[in-house]
Amino acid sequence: MTESKLSIVDLTKRYAAGLDPAVDRLNMEVEEGHLVALLGPSGCGKTTTLRMVAGLMDPTAGSIVVDGKEITHTPVNKRGMGMVFQSYALFPHMNVEQNVAFGLQMRQTSKADQKRRVAGALDMVQLGHLAKRQVRELSGGQQQRIALARALVVEPTLLLLDEPLSNLDAKLRETMRTEIRSIQQRTRATTLFVTHDQDEALDMADRIAVMNGGLIEQFGSPTEVYERPQTRFVANFIGQANFLNARVLSETGAAAKGETHYRVSIDELGEFGAVGAPGLTGSTHELVIRPHRLRVSLRPAGTETIAGVIERVSYTGDAISVAVKAGNRVLQAQVPTSSGDLPRPGDAAYLSWNEQDAYLLPAAVKDAAGLLPAAERDSVA
Amino acid sequence: MTATHTQTPATRRAGAAEGDLERATGRRNRRTYLALLIPGLLGLLVSFVFPLAYMIRMSFNRGAPDGIIEETFTLDTYIQPLSDPYYWRVTLDTFQMGVTVGLLCILVSYPVALFLARSTSKYRGLLMAIAIAPLLTSAVVRTYGWMVILGTNGLVNSSLEGMGLIDTPLKLTNNMTGVTIGLVEIFMPYAILAMISGFGRLSPQLEEAAGSLGASKLQVFTRVTLPLSLPGILTAFLLVFVLSISTFITPRLLGGGSVQVLATEIYDQTTGLLNWPFAAALSVILLVLFGLIIAVYQRLTKKIGG
Repeated sequence: MTESKLSIVDLTKRYAAGLDPAVDRLNMEVEEGHLVALLGPSGCGKTTTLRMVAGLMDPTAGSIVVDGKEITHTPVNKRGMGMVFQSYALFPHMNVEQNVAFGLQMRQTSKADQKRRVAGALDMVQLGHLAKRQVRELSGGQQQRIALARALVVEPTLLLLDEPLSNLDAKLRETMRTEIRSIQQRTRATTLFVTHDQDEALDMADRIAVMNGGLIEQFGSPTEVYERPQTRFVANFIGQANFLNARVLSETGAAAKGETHYRVSIDELGEFGAVGAPGLTGSTHELVIRPHRLRVSLRPAGTETIAGVIERVSYTGDAISVAVKAGNRVLQAQVPTSSGDLPRPGDAAYLSWNEQDAYLLPAAVKDAAGLLPAAERDSVA
Repeated sequence: MTATHTQTPATRRAGAAEGDLERATGRRNRRTYLALLIPGLLGLLVSFVFPLAYMIRMSFNRGAPDGIIEETFTLDTYIQPLSDPYYWRVTLDTFQMGVTVGLLCILVSYPVALFLARSTSKYRGLLMAIAIAPLLTSAVVRTYGWMVILGTNGLVNSSLEGMGLIDTPLKLTNNMTGVTIGLVEIFMPYAILAMISGFGRLSPQLEEAAGSLGASKLQVFTRVTLPLSLPGILTAFLLVFVLSISTFITPRLLGGGSVQVLATEIYDQTTGLLNWPFAAALSVILLVLFGLIIAVYQRLTKKIGG
């Protein structure tokens, strides 16, 4: 294994004794040059984690190691990190150039060097022509870029971004997303990026840490967290998902990436194929299927289908969302608008899926004995 | 920023029509604004403009002994103080006192204001109330309080004597030292309030950003906190300066007659010697002289305050 750029070991933050910790024994390894997104709902501890790495907050326990050196108690100004704040935090009493030069001045680099590097950083964010402007004369997107230039000009050990795009309008957000990612890749700056926006995380990150209640629910590449969510929370938070309780009957062979094909039984609906981690046979697990991975057919097609009735159809231009009632469950499906027959409410519909698109969550469902009616156990998010 | 407009006749006509509408609503709004101003303007007219005009007129009268005012038009009331070195001395003392009290008041109030402005504690409201609570007591009462504390047998002197640090009591009342101490404390709430309201651009995130860029605590203060709190400091200084030079209660009581500033001089002329024209002339001099100083100050600080 390669040496990590950043290791977070059992990091814990408790704001007050007796309170649930905001960050609870968090562990994470970040590779050099990676952009890691800390993704989660507000209050999940992502910003607290970032602030502890930045040195703006003292952890209650645990340690932070950068380049093999423990920095848990190093003061913020000795950590050499570059941080971009949600509000950008540009100094209002300095012009653009002075803002960017601030970190270099603190490092007492020579005047000539400062001039050269500030110009370089401003060119990198394509705002060289605004060097003499006052901060208040800049638009939100420009301020954002200056903040990025200011953080990067010092060649930080880590680049820390705290919801940097949340104050921008939707269009600009997408442009800045691409721009930040390309600058990050050019500078090879190892980056921690806090966001609550799943699209942002999927689009920009090399690795995503999905956080909930002070814990990392899953840490993996964008495709891993999307295709193979390890918990119901992750499946729910990233994208949409149908959840079905499935009893795992038997293994039917080895699948790719060490996974296993299974036969599963879903109450009232029949037997189907699914994939999951090895060793699930005999217990009940939640089956996750993304709405757009469900095929909707208006005629019976094949054996492994769920027959139902279309309840609702909503047309969003790019896709048609179809709610299909099967038994006492409602499943969400999404089909492209180009498909021939436009479904109508009341039509019979037959749902099917590819085996590798039905993923069994690793944790077994506790109330598998049917203590709850199926409709309450199964739900659609 | 300037923008150049190229207009076709059509858009110009449309623009003109829009302009008419805007002007019409503008007129209506202006009328509303004026109507809203009337009560305040009337109040100012009765309580400020008229007395001021009366005072200026009074300053050209001649004061005869026994409080008799001779209606006339003379410049004697001005020539007399302006040609008398005593009044120049008093004016200079007044200015010096204003500056000293202003500076000391800023010095002691700044940490309090900074703390209150940045505090996120749930007790912030309470602390704020405590900081400005002295305003609930009149300056007279607080001045007497200081007389008790600073007097020859007061708290300070008896404590220092008790500890054997001094043999003879320090002279802390009936002089400028006592007046300065009293005024600094009395004007602290004003200074704190003025500073907090002037700290608008200060934010903890800016200090965090400076820290993350490598600034030590001292550098964060000198490069970020202090420059951004300067507008508040300048406002507070001006306020305390103005209040100091116009107050007469504390200089009078804590000064014990040995501290003469323009305000006490005016008071003496008015109530002691009943020479109203002379008092009025001194007031006009105070107004003009210090009005000019304040105007210059504001011009200078406008640049810094940004």
